[in-house]
Amino acid sequence: MTDSDLHPYVEWIAREARRPVVVDPAARERVMAAVRAEPLPRPQSTVWGRLLRPRAFTLSPVGGALLAAGLVGIGVLGGTLAINRDGQSTVGQPPVAVAPRLPVSHSTTDTVVRFVYLAPQADKVYLVGDFNGWDTTKTPLSRAGDGSWTVTIPLSAGRHVYGFVVDGSWAADPHAPRAPDDGFGHANSVKLVRRGSSL
Amino acid sequence: MTLSIRRGFRASVVAASLLFASTLSAQDGDPLAKLENNRYAFDLILDSAMAAGIPTGPLLSKAREGIAKKIDSRKIVEVVRKLFGELRIAHAALGGVGEQELSAAATLLEAGAKPSQLELFRPRQKGRSDLTAFIVWTDFLSRSIPNEEASSAIAKLWRDGADDEIFQSLWTNVKGDISQGLNPGTALQNRIRETPGRASPAPGKPPEGQENQSSR
Repeated sequence: MTDSDLHPYVEWIAREARRPVVVDPAARERVMAAVRAEPLPRPQSTVWGRLLRPRAFTLSPVGGALLAAGLVGIGVLGGTLAINRDGQSTVGQPPVAVAPRLPVSHSTTDTVVRFVYLAPQADKVYLVGDFNGWDTTKTPLSRAGDGSWTVTIPLSAGRHVYGFVVDGSWAADPHAPRAPDDGFGHANSVKLVRRGSSL
Repeated sequence: MTLSIRRGFRASVVAASLLFASTLSAQDGDPLAKLENNRYAFDLILDSAMAAGIPTGPLLSKAREGIAKKIDSRKIVEVVRKLFGELRIAHAALGGVGEQELSAAATLLEAGAKPSQLELFRPRQKGRSDLTAFIVWTDFLSRSIPNEEASSAIAKLWRDGADDEIFQSLWTNVKGDISQGLNPGTALQNRIRETPGRASPAPGKPPEGQENQSSR
């Protein structure tokens, strides 16, 4: 096939392409009727539509890092404060409530108990036990005139284990039942509090 | 390019600082954080206790006691693990009792009592708590009274229906005799002979603790 052979075909194609297409006016109407019959897309509600509409926003690297760090911090704090080891919620309580089962509440059913320790030469004496979370500075004793140290605190009914810290050294209560040294090198004392009395 | 590397570096520093501050803040509220590398082992013990139905209060308290006494964290975990074992034994011997009694019984085992000696206290008696008996018994063992003597004395009083006041009176007298220089075992033997087993009942009122109860 040569160029001279192609020429009549090219001319024929061009002629056919230039010829206007005659469309049946009824066909146009049928197409438009079908389009009008299609249900219109439901417009989204104004509020939800705005909220759910995807959008793009820009964030600087510093902003992104701050946002990520903030989320991690919230997660760490929330996880630490909201649930303790016993699976009990501590929301609304101070973050030190790690051992919530320890009897630290001062309810109206508590019994007021007086602790006395004789140490005329001591400078500082503290009462430390399960009732104050074994805090070595939370419950100081006051010096009395006869060389003894005293403190009066409310305790819930039950068995309490405790000791005294006398100028930094642990000491058992000589007037209370003993508990054996279980490996910490210091024997404890035991106070059994009943409603209105104590052992 | 250089600008973006600088920005990335600064962002990393800020993020690390915030994360560090958050971690510190979380640790401030957790005294048990001082267990440091042994915290995981401690948590495992707590998990085991919860799975076995053992209260975790005594274990948490023991850990806090160790921290207050500035004991090495490894030693604390060792003591807590031992306590967990004693709580389990006490639980098996006594059945379903309260946390306080279980803790007192575990301390009693630590002092030298045998698990089989606890089984006498397994039947629950209405209006009667074995807390005082356990505390007095533990004290006797801590004062070098032989376990067999202490055990038989406490068991006799318990079977005879002794109440808290009788146990308390026995403890006061024996402690006084020991401080006077009497042999601890002899002091107990002397005092147990003169101790009434049963409290005098109030007129028209049945003695406490004589009704059996299936559970507490």
